[in-house]
Amino acid sequence: MPGRWNREGDRSARETQILGWILVVPAMAAVSALILYPLVKGFQQSIQSGGILFGELPGYVGTRNYRDVLNDPTSRDAMRHTLEYVLLAVSLELVLGIFVAVTLHRVFRGRGFVLAVLILPWALPSVVSGVLWRRVFDPDNGLLNSVLLHLHIINQPHVWLASGRGAIVYITLVHVWGVLPLISLIFLAGLQSVPDEVYSASAVDGAGPWRQFRYITLPLLRPSMAIALTVGTLLAISIFDEIYVLNGTALNTRSILIQVYNTTFVEADFAHGTALAFVLAAVTAVLGGFYALALRRSTV
Amino acid sequence: MAIAAALFAASCGGSSSSSGSSASSESIRGQTITVLVPYVMPQKLLNQFTAETGVNVNYVRTGWDATHNKLIVANTAKTYIADVAEFDWSFTGQFAGAGWVEPLDNLLPAKTLADLKSTDAAFVSGGKTYAACYSNDFRLSMYNKQMFAKAGITSFPATFDELATDIQKLKASGVKYPLQIPMAATEGGITPWYLLTLAMGGQLFDQNLKPVFQTPGSAGYKALQWEADAVKNGWVSPGSVALNDDIALNDFLAGQSAILFATGPGNLPTANDPSQSSIVGKAALGLVPGVTGPGASFGLPEGLSIPVTAKHKAAAAAFINWWEQPKNAIAIYKTQGSLPCGTSTIKQMVATGQLQGGDVLNQELTHVGPLFQAGAPIWYSQFSADAQGLANAAVKGQMSVQDALTQLADKASARTQ
Repeated sequence: MPGRWNREGDRSARETQILGWILVVPAMAAVSALILYPLVKGFQQSIQSGGILFGELPGYVGTRNYRDVLNDPTSRDAMRHTLEYVLLAVSLELVLGIFVAVTLHRVFRGRGFVLAVLILPWALPSVVSGVLWRRVFDPDNGLLNSVLLHLHIINQPHVWLASGRGAIVYITLVHVWGVLPLISLIFLAGLQSVPDEVYSASAVDGAGPWRQFRYITLPLLRPSMAIALTVGTLLAISIFDEIYVLNGTALNTRSILIQVYNTTFVEADFAHGTALAFVLAAVTAVLGGFYALALRRSTV
Repeated sequence: MAIAAALFAASCGGSSSSSGSSASSESIRGQTITVLVPYVMPQKLLNQFTAETGVNVNYVRTGWDATHNKLIVANTAKTYIADVAEFDWSFTGQFAGAGWVEPLDNLLPAKTLADLKSTDAAFVSGGKTYAACYSNDFRLSMYNKQMFAKAGITSFPATFDELATDIQKLKASGVKYPLQIPMAATEGGITPWYLLTLAMGGQLFDQNLKPVFQTPGSAGYKALQWEADAVKNGWVSPGSVALNDDIALNDFLAGQSAILFATGPGNLPTANDPSQSSIVGKAALGLVPGVTGPGASFGLPEGLSIPVTAKHKAAAAAFINWWEQPKNAIAIYKTQGSLPCGTSTIKQMVATGQLQGGDVLNQELTHVGPLFQAGAPIWYSQFSADAQGLANAAVKGQMSVQDALTQLADKASARTQ
């Protein structure tokens, strides 16, 4: 009898394995067609010359395009801007996200309404929120200048998106406005998984709200923080819509993705455009891997 | 007639026999073509075309920059995007060089091509014509007569010195920002710099396509400095540094400024259209100012092309031919603001008094020349993209005019090597 069970068990395991493959193959085929093939074609393009449009013979040029984009001052500025967007956006999202989550974790009247309102900016497509904020920042007819002029805080209209650092801060705020609800919900879900008994026990031991937050909430939120960090970073590194709608391809706010767009679609320089896109993809992959590792450590 | 002659001084002596051919209406009946053009087109006119030919039209309108980018992507990928597509003067080197569009010499009737011969010169490469001109565009100025009268100004300034004086008068009369100049990092935002460079008596490139705009004494340098000073001096609104040409036009039509510095000849009918303008009857055309008298301007005609990937080329050719017929081109001029290109169309407009601002157009045309003597070079897109970003940074004060133009010249030199 045990032998028969073993044989049946082996067959069942084999069938399960085959079923698994059958279920996975369509997804693998779709991924190959939609992601791997363009990835390979894109990489091919990134190591080829610009061709006839750039007065060159078609052919492979090795890493030349990568060296070109890494040495190009405009691309380097775009990389620096992107780093600023990421650092500022992620910092704000983590701090404000935890604050909002802790606030909403408490039961209070109207909490459901506040939650619904909180979701709204996230539900809006980033282009739409960009258009809304453009009306706020518009130097000639914008809401912000109108209010500040009316209150005599400024004497003449200010061009909010003309300065370097200032413009990056304002665009980051618009980005954070859209992403903060998602980050807050991630933290809120994390908070709701913390048993109330832990807080009750700490209260009995004399821990106040700050000590509870410092020694209970924050450590137990580490898995949520890793997820929020990952999501926030990936969204900030790929920032495009808000910049394009608010300030176009202006040099002072250009991110790497805007530079990829400009190089590829405005200048029709697909070789350098894809090379820059692959640089961005590599950085994103490294960061994603790092965060995945951090997440694994915080959850094991 | 003199106006028509000036608009089209070039010979129209092509054969009247049709060496090209339009497909018979039966072979194209029932087909649906996609037309990609950056300007509005009344559905009523499209319905007329469908009624005449049996061809349905899917008219897609996107902004100029977006249209350009969509065409580049589709053409590079060799995929279908439209049967009839926008073809700007600046596309000629790149699009014809890459073989992205069909030569029209055998697709349009010879009579139509002959009628367009003068303006179509901008779309000729290697002896072949790649587009049929539909917008006889060149740069000139438009101003608000009422605001000028209130400021005590009796005529449009002919020189930059007079312009500066008039701007002060307009400001004194209560016009906060008299000038309207788009300066965003877009194609429409860089055009005023090109115009100012020519108007100040210079060129962007020499005969060998070497940049000549980076030294402080050059017209290109003075032109960009003039734009930066216009922002600093409050001649233009602070928001001009982020303003595109279509928004600049809308603001002028809303009566927010007295002078629209670099605009097209077809925008006067738009300014006089009550459905699109609040300054009806108050707008007039003015010559581009210069150093000692009216300055030079340049032509930037736009045409209709047939991409090599078009699905219905015969129907597309029929549509282009329909657009170019005087009756239709005039109807489109009145609604869309594109000044027609055909000699016979202009003659008809002059004869029937439908050409608005004809005297100024006639005078301005004596100052119009090409931006590039040998046609738009193949690297124009890259040069323009660089210029848009750097000039925008200079007018915003993020970098000096010298730094911006030195960088631009270095990049341009690298492209021409």
